[in-house]
Amino acid sequence: MSTADIAKGEPILSCTDLKKSFLGVVAVNGATFDVPKGLITALIGPNGAGKTTVINLLSGMMKSDSGSMRVGKTDVTNWPDFKIAAQGLMRTFQLSRELSGLSVLENLLVADRVQAGESLVNIFFRPALVKREEAANINRALEILKVYGLYDLRDNRASALSGGQKKLLEIARGVMANPVILLLDEPMAGVNPALIEKIGEYIIDLKNQGMTILMVEHNLNIVEKICDHVIVLAEGKTLATGRLSDLRADEAVVRAYLGEVINAHTSS
Amino acid sequence: MSFYVYTLFFFFFVYFILAMGLNIQFGETGILNFAYIGFVAIGSYVTGATSLPKANTGIAAGQHFILGLNLPFPFNLLAGGIVSSLLAVIVAFIALRRLRTDYLAMVLISLSLVLYDVCNNFVPLFNGPDGLYNIPEPMSGVFHLDSNQFVGFFAAVTGIIALIMYLFMNRIMSSPLGRTFRAIRDDPGVASTLGKNIFKYQITSMVIGAFFAGIGGGLIIQFGGSFNTSAWLPGETFVVFAVVIVGGVGNNWGLLAGSLLVETILVHLPAFLPDIPGHTGLIQYIDAMLIGILLWVMLWFRPQGIVPEKIRSSASYLKRYGIKKGAEAVNVEVEK
Repeated sequence: MSTADIAKGEPILSCTDLKKSFLGVVAVNGATFDVPKGLITALIGPNGAGKTTVINLLSGMMKSDSGSMRVGKTDVTNWPDFKIAAQGLMRTFQLSRELSGLSVLENLLVADRVQAGESLVNIFFRPALVKREEAANINRALEILKVYGLYDLRDNRASALSGGQKKLLEIARGVMANPVILLLDEPMAGVNPALIEKIGEYIIDLKNQGMTILMVEHNLNIVEKICDHVIVLAEGKTLATGRLSDLRADEAVVRAYLGEVINAHTSS
Repeated sequence: MSFYVYTLFFFFFVYFILAMGLNIQFGETGILNFAYIGFVAIGSYVTGATSLPKANTGIAAGQHFILGLNLPFPFNLLAGGIVSSLLAVIVAFIALRRLRTDYLAMVLISLSLVLYDVCNNFVPLFNGPDGLYNIPEPMSGVFHLDSNQFVGFFAAVTGIIALIMYLFMNRIMSSPLGRTFRAIRDDPGVASTLGKNIFKYQITSMVIGAFFAGIGGGLIIQFGGSFNTSAWLPGETFVVFAVVIVGGVGNNWGLLAGSLLVETILVHLPAFLPDIPGHTGLIQYIDAMLIGILLWVMLWFRPQGIVPEKIRSSASYLKRYGIKKGAEAVNVEVEK
């Protein structure tokens, strides 16, 4: 992978002048930013700023109209999502998208990126390899489920989980894929305060394991607490990047564009 | 009498094979293959055409068709399965590349109609509307069987083939490949962001299913000795769908139940009833209506089928992969 020799704090995921419009409505209009390796970066901005669209573009679920993207030193502009995933970039969804017919355990097992057992030839001619790999994956998946408090639910259909559990499953599934970069689209939206706290701890843990995180988040208290770096989007453009405290100092500028968010923060 | 019983057994086994093939496409991978009967027909024709001698010679006098390789059983059957799979690759490249769900279903249903019209009207391919006939009974020369004994013998052979194919399918469904199929069925978008090349897996699933369709079709022509376009009107696809949906999507035991209920009991058992006086052929229409009603009732009251898809438990995983309970993850004392 082209990302191993990048030093911590250096850009591991970058996009330049990304543009995307939907039937004339401009969602992303020249977003340009770098995501530093090994840190937690927040992507903030008012509703409609294009945050989710940026995540969709970065993960390859949508193709950009123009602009370029790189993972490490590899240009991944408009690659299909499964190829970007192979570069070590995983994402979660704002509205949880669990694989509903599979068990919780299987939701994790399926996430391992390269599996010998996904080849018809290996299933019949190299069963020992498939078995060894699968056994290792099962152990790993069960451990991850324990970490995320989902172990007791391992045999439930994923569709039977509660909203908060589905949020955890989304993250656990991403972690199972062993990504270099994890994009979290509002991992804490719609969950109770205790769980928000917990998800925050999980994310910090992932950082400590060396993962790079880019998360969309509205709650500036959380951003302040766990994020090292902030990217502010407004009207599809990058408005500012830096530490949240520095951006606050720049309040005059920020208030002009982000009044909504800042007010929400100061009033809470 | 025994002839009837053997015939029922034969169709029970064959539809189990056909249902397994459709299930991996529709039930496991989520591909609405409304052209399924076309793949069955191609398997049937190719099996017949490869087991006959050259067209218009010997027992094939008066018939026009391609191939004519005089292949012995089971090589003709394998040829049917393989050609059906090849057709699936072509269809997948045309239809699966860009289309999803309902649009794909429409393309496939029209494909089924096109295939039907081509076979029906282009005589040099598979003898047009007359189809292939005089297909030699496999192995009956070896065992010196008369026609009656052959029916029982071949029903048993079909049962053995169904068992082998069940073991083959079971291995696929319980492998990581089967799991990835189901992930694609549940949410292709998520599967794709997890690094799965959806197109590749859909082709794989289409090919496996088409192979089953081809083998099933081949068995049908071997059993009856003839096959023509009246046997595979595009609507026949929905009988196989009924077997899968009534029995239970995603569960091989369900397919067995569906095959018994829909195909054996509803389709073939009444075929042996005497005609209602003055209403020749009415029974088969009543049959079709009953299947329709059964499908409707099942979808309304028990959409998961008679035997629903079972969740694969962690215990079954641990057992299958020889992981001792409690031995997994010794360092479970995670701080949270």
